[in-house]
Amino acid sequence: MLAFDLLANGLIYGCFYALMAIGLAMIFGVLKIVNFAHGEFFMIGAYTYVLVALKLGVSPWLALPCAAVSGALLGWLVERLLMRPMYQGYASWGFMKDEYAVVVTFGLSLLLINLVDKIVGPYSFRGPPLIDVSRFALGPIMLTGQKAIAAVVSVLLMIGLALFIKRSVWGKQIQAVAQNRLGASLAGIDATRTTSLIFMISGMLAALSGALLAPLVNPSPDIGAFPAVKSYVIVVLGGMGSIWGAMLAALILGVSEAFFSVYISYDYRDAFGLIILVVVLLFRPQGLFGEKGREL
Amino acid sequence: MKPIHNLWQERLRFDMRAALVIIALIGLLPAVVYGPYALGIILVSVYFAILALGWNLLAGYTGQFSLAPAAFAMIGAYTTALLDHYWQVPLALGIPAAIVVTALFGLMLGKLVLNLSGPYLSLTTLAFAEIARVVIGNSHEFTRGDQGMHVATLTDNRLAYYYIFLFALVVVLACIYWLLKGKLGRFMMAVRDDPVGAESRGINVVRIKMIAFCISCSICGLAGSLYGTFSQLVSPELGLLQQTGLILSMVVIGGMGSLSGAILGGVLIYLGSEWLRGFGDIQMIVFALLVIVFARYIPGGLWGMVAARLQGRRS
Amino acid sequence: MMFRCLRYLAGLMGFAFLLSPAFAADPILIGVSLTQSPPGSVVQGTQVKDGMEILKDMVNAKGGVLGRPIKILYEDNQGIPEKGRAATEKLISSDKVVAMAGGHQSSVCLAEIEVAHRYKVPYVNTNCWSDDVRKRGYPEVFNTSPYNTLVSSSMATTLATMGVKRVVAFAENTDYGIGQAKLTGELLKAKAPQIEYKYETLDRASKDFTAAVLPLRANPPDVIVMSMLPPAAYLLMNQVYEQGVAPTAKTLMYDGGGLADYPDFWQNVKEGGKYLLSFALYHPQMKQTPLASDIAAEYKKRTGGDINRLVLQAADSLELVIQGIESAKSTDSDKLIKAMQTMNFKSIRGVSDFSNKPGFGYQQWLEIPYVNYELTAEKQPIAQTVLIQAPGQKFDASKIVHPAK
Repeated sequence: MLAFDLLANGLIYGCFYALMAIGLAMIFGVLKIVNFAHGEFFMIGAYTYVLVALKLGVSPWLALPCAAVSGALLGWLVERLLMRPMYQGYASWGFMKDEYAVVVTFGLSLLLINLVDKIVGPYSFRGPPLIDVSRFALGPIMLTGQKAIAAVVSVLLMIGLALFIKRSVWGKQIQAVAQNRLGASLAGIDATRTTSLIFMISGMLAALSGALLAPLVNPSPDIGAFPAVKSYVIVVLGGMGSIWGAMLAALILGVSEAFFSVYISYDYRDAFGLIILVVVLLFRPQGLFGEKGREL
Repeated sequence: MKPIHNLWQERLRFDMRAALVIIALIGLLPAVVYGPYALGIILVSVYFAILALGWNLLAGYTGQFSLAPAAFAMIGAYTTALLDHYWQVPLALGIPAAIVVTALFGLMLGKLVLNLSGPYLSLTTLAFAEIARVVIGNSHEFTRGDQGMHVATLTDNRLAYYYIFLFALVVVLACIYWLLKGKLGRFMMAVRDDPVGAESRGINVVRIKMIAFCISCSICGLAGSLYGTFSQLVSPELGLLQQTGLILSMVVIGGMGSLSGAILGGVLIYLGSEWLRGFGDIQMIVFALLVIVFARYIPGGLWGMVAARLQGRRS
Repeated sequence: MMFRCLRYLAGLMGFAFLLSPAFAADPILIGVSLTQSPPGSVVQGTQVKDGMEILKDMVNAKGGVLGRPIKILYEDNQGIPEKGRAATEKLISSDKVVAMAGGHQSSVCLAEIEVAHRYKVPYVNTNCWSDDVRKRGYPEVFNTSPYNTLVSSSMATTLATMGVKRVVAFAENTDYGIGQAKLTGELLKAKAPQIEYKYETLDRASKDFTAAVLPLRANPPDVIVMSMLPPAAYLLMNQVYEQGVAPTAKTLMYDGGGLADYPDFWQNVKEGGKYLLSFALYHPQMKQTPLASDIAAEYKKRTGGDINRLVLQAADSLELVIQGIESAKSTDSDKLIKAMQTMNFKSIRGVSDFSNKPGFGYQQWLEIPYVNYELTAEKQPIAQTVLIQAPGQKFDASKIVHPAK
């Protein structure tokens, strides 16, 4: 039945979107900045996965952690070199940190796209799938092995992240810094190190989502635009900084896109999410799940 | 009794004078620069300078960090183009129509983001910008989508167009100066620095924000419309997020919260990116590195550096 | 500090250029605006560049044109019409090229021909298929590129001969895609009105078309036509395959975008590419001129890959300019345009003849040779594909292979 097909596919894509967007939601929640280069973390993860698996001949299952590492490394570098001035040194950048973040990450995004384009080449690659089952039927819906595994891995990662934030020491530190940076550092938490950790996790998650989706979207150097805009929509829709909110918003986005594009028009498929966002904000400026809502 | 020194007015006046000097220099360039190609390049940089001024009014002075300036330029350009294409509306009406339409859209956007601030506001404006771009880009039957639309032109003479753009820049600058000189300017900065405090002092924050959005967006729309008539082609690429990023870089590197900074940033960065063509393949990489390095190590922008030296000498 | 360093660097580079070996004679400058960075199709741009470079080197090795070497100046238009316009302006008014060539994306071409028309400089259309480029009727524009009417007529004939009942077409939301899909539908209606045909427009920037494919699962058509370009085309093919809609015993896919001979085709579609029917402008079984064979050999030597039609098209456009200059015995724009209009152009791809019909045929080489073939195995080289319509012959539906189920 068509509606069931659409629902199933929408939910699967929703899981992918959620994984993409969570890293951004974390950075948002803590630093309250827009990361224009978020899509490029996804792209770097996708390329690492594809290159490691194809050029080094390594099994795709091993290429996944390589992508994760590259994402974490990139996140750490970005925080260390570019983001520190924002919160260390109130005098020069204190009141301009939003602008600074946007410009610097815009430059970074441009740099990464063109570096990859020159070094690796402009051709798109189809990432090798994790298992070589190209299609199988799960009840009434058709899936590929890759889609199924990617969805499962995404869900596991999100659960893992939720548990990490809620239960572990580092997770609690992240929560503290998100709620009140100054207060947290007064309580003895190293805010800078925590921020570094957040960037690493964000980079890692974005890179992993890139690696998982590499067999599905055929990455090219400019693939970053696709996860970036979706992530922005999801983060605002879900309510800033709320990770649960982002996850739910992602699922809603995935399903709505599927239904709207079939029943209304394929042409404006990518505009639907944005329109939903604008409509929701008209009635609920704090997003679906609110700032003061459930934060992890 | 001696009039009380108004520090803000002094700084603004200094800023304005510097901006006029820069514009005069640009106006004299055709005496030494030859060829329609070179003139065209400087002309486009003036286009960006106008956009930078418009955005700076909204973000630098009123603190509303919108990510939609390029989208408004696109909306302005398409307004003129659609009117020309479907109803043969002459440019004398088409260009003012662009100003009005973008002012209205600006009001809409302002209303939408009224209760938002910081990154929430930015992302919502981004959503608005993308919606505009996707709708225009995919409405193939109506706007010819990616292929763009042909637009009439004001004149075939490149030099005349050069001075038309420069004139527009002066007009926009004058309007902004007049706006900022009075109470409105200070209210805008109050909204930027401390909206709650401003409200508590009786400033109608809502009204100020709406005015800022309206004017800023219509400036962007005017620039876009003029540019469309110059290149005789409008396409959705005018509204790409990449273009917005470029405008932001120009203002931040030029110096936020100052008129000369915006103009300087616009002109220099665009000319710089053209000069980089000499680097061939790696031109974009070098450009990106320059943007990052400038943003990272030179806070206050170019204007900040220059002004600090000049003003230091005066006192 | 930084600016100073950069200035020194720029100065050094300029100096290095002066020191580079100069030709005895003053080179002929030809301008090429193509895509070398995203968001345009960099794949196409690279192939156009390869084709032109190979021919240029061959010609220069034999002494150049009118005793002068050819130099090609490349500008990156990123696939954006506005940048194409600016690049063309720069090449014509600042670099003073004698002719433009290499345009490969219709929307960019349409912006660039305006500039060429304004400056009255010849512009050779390498690969812009949209009929609108011809319909403008500019005498400066010469079209060696295939055109939508050619492709759509062939596709309509093919579909009519196949004797199918239902056809669904997916078109990208550009003038090329929608133009081709619409035209194919109209021509098909005239040839075989009993065939049910409808087309859907898809956003070429989108990454997921599953929602468009799912409704076809319940009631699959006989043929799915694609009027799309990569990367969206590859994604669509994969997603159609994943949902089990095509290729099946009932349904096959038919490509009108010339995908199969792109160098990155197989690495992107894997098994989804099997049984693809393809309208194509190059097949090893076509009659090749000696120059084409030479270029093919050189291409294989330089890149290790088999030649494809885009490389030949690019070389062909350059060849047109060269022959024009030789015929006019000058590089003056007016003389060059007149020569190109009146001379007998010996194309690399066969016998050519520019028509003068206004409309889609204006200054267009009408009888561009083409074939239709089917891919029958993964990673199949073009030489081994099944020719369903050999060059110059009638379409033979019996040669079509369907998968078992």
